[in-house]
Amino acid sequence: MLTVNGIRDDLMATTVLEIERLTKRFGGVTAVDGVSLRLEAGRIYGLIGPNGSGKTTLFNCITGVERRDEGRVVFGGGRIDGLKPWEIAQKGIGRTFQLIRVFPELSALENLLVVTRDNLAAARERALELLRFVKLEELRDEYAGNLSYGQQKLLEFVRVLMREPTLILLDEPAAGVNRTLLNDLLDAVRHLRNQGRTVLLVEHDMKVVMGLCETVFVLDHGEKIAEGAPGVIQTDERVIEAYFGR
Amino acid sequence: MIRRGAALAALAAVVAGLAAYPGYASGYGVRATLQIFMWIVLAGSWNLISGLTGYVSFGHVAFFGAGAYTGAILVAKVGWPWLPAALAGGVAAVLLALVIGYPCLRLKGPYFAIALLGLNEVLRALVSYFEGLTGGGNGLSLPTLDATIPIYYAMGASAASVTLLTYVIITSRFGLRLMTIREDEVAAEAMGIDTARHKLYAFLLSAAGPGIVGALTARDQGYIEPISVFPLATTITMIVMVLLGGKGTVWGPVLGAVVLFVAQEVVWARYPYVHPLLFGAIIVAVVLLMPRGVLGLLQSRYRLPRTI
Repeated sequence: MLTVNGIRDDLMATTVLEIERLTKRFGGVTAVDGVSLRLEAGRIYGLIGPNGSGKTTLFNCITGVERRDEGRVVFGGGRIDGLKPWEIAQKGIGRTFQLIRVFPELSALENLLVVTRDNLAAARERALELLRFVKLEELRDEYAGNLSYGQQKLLEFVRVLMREPTLILLDEPAAGVNRTLLNDLLDAVRHLRNQGRTVLLVEHDMKVVMGLCETVFVLDHGEKIAEGAPGVIQTDERVIEAYFGR
Repeated sequence: MIRRGAALAALAAVVAGLAAYPGYASGYGVRATLQIFMWIVLAGSWNLISGLTGYVSFGHVAFFGAGAYTGAILVAKVGWPWLPAALAGGVAAVLLALVIGYPCLRLKGPYFAIALLGLNEVLRALVSYFEGLTGGGNGLSLPTLDATIPIYYAMGASAASVTLLTYVIITSRFGLRLMTIREDEVAAEAMGIDTARHKLYAFLLSAAGPGIVGALTARDQGYIEPISVFPLATTITMIVMVLLGGKGTVWGPVLGAVVLFVAQEVVWARYPYVHPLLFGAIIVAVVLLMPRGVLGLLQSRYRLPRTI
């Protein structure tokens, strides 16, 4: 899988996203506590940790949904902390949500068309191609709210791709998706990586994380307690302690 | 294609019929149709902001009133002809929307609705206060002029313009983006849509029509006072018309305006005491039985295109 050709070698050297000592507090609770991490182009990263460890808050701080209290987020050569969510999206960061957020009373096709920078006619081809990719082409005129949970999840996933983001944040992509769909989804994520895009995913399904990610970050109580290859992480004492207690 | 052609032909026939109507109609018929046009403009305009973005404006009559006073003052005090005064009424309403929309559109849900309700009350108080310009509580009389038929055409043109504008918006990327604000504003922003700018544009567009027909109404009636051009009931009626016909659709506000106005005239005029009761019953029935309105229901059931 990890064929290292010349092009990918170059890509790997490029930093896509750099987070420096990012902190976010809600009242007295420090949800994210001085987290630093670096993502390189063309790689798949995992972000794991027990419930309430700050994974989604970190996503929200990167994408501007939440304002960080301290620290810097650098993407594509410039700081993005302090920008509005739509500005960050336009710079090339796409995301999905833990709880699905499709536009329920727009059709599946419209859900994609609305995201484009081009005019509607020009975007149509790409939108249909993406719907074919996740086998939703037949349902293109159906309201997104009428699709099944798994179908909505796939729709939300390809909606992110309409803008061709360089960094894709996926919040629990595997949750509630059946095995067949899941394999398609994982293939799609690898395909994105092979195009040179970077993927950071929050996931509770360890099989998915271990099978897909090249580097895993572990959060506990808002702090990054470990970082490394999946095999190494699994045997890390602090990680085991965070999940199972001492 | 054939169905589209037939629909266009039917539409052209209706427009031609309405254009010829004053030639053979009674005075009452012309006045009633003129008012239907006005309601189409008001309901259609409310639909542009509230039906599409989900930001429910409870003070939309403020733009009607602002247009009415602007037009009336220009005609009565400055001596402008009514047509440019009506356009100035539209401009005044859009400027008001710009001033009020910028801060208020940051408010979500009920807070936005209440803020606009407050705007309407403030305007009514201001108009009552500046007696020198507005006549205060005594109202403002315009010079006598029988312009019912030209105003009929001006109202009709406004109704056609608002409906055409709605069609253009709903079938465009801009319109789809407005709908994403209604569907899920957080997701819309995460997809790179500048929701603040989109909402403001929709709000400005939604103020122009009420401003123009407000000024036309002032000219047509020849006399306005604060309670006659800033009534909350007018906003409520706009909302009910759109909910009845189908929010976020092209023809829903037109259908709602015609049905509700005709029902009001034909049936309710004979039973004045039950009128408010029936009005309330319609609101409850629509909300309970078909929250998407007549066209919204048809649209989701039969997958009709957005051009309906």
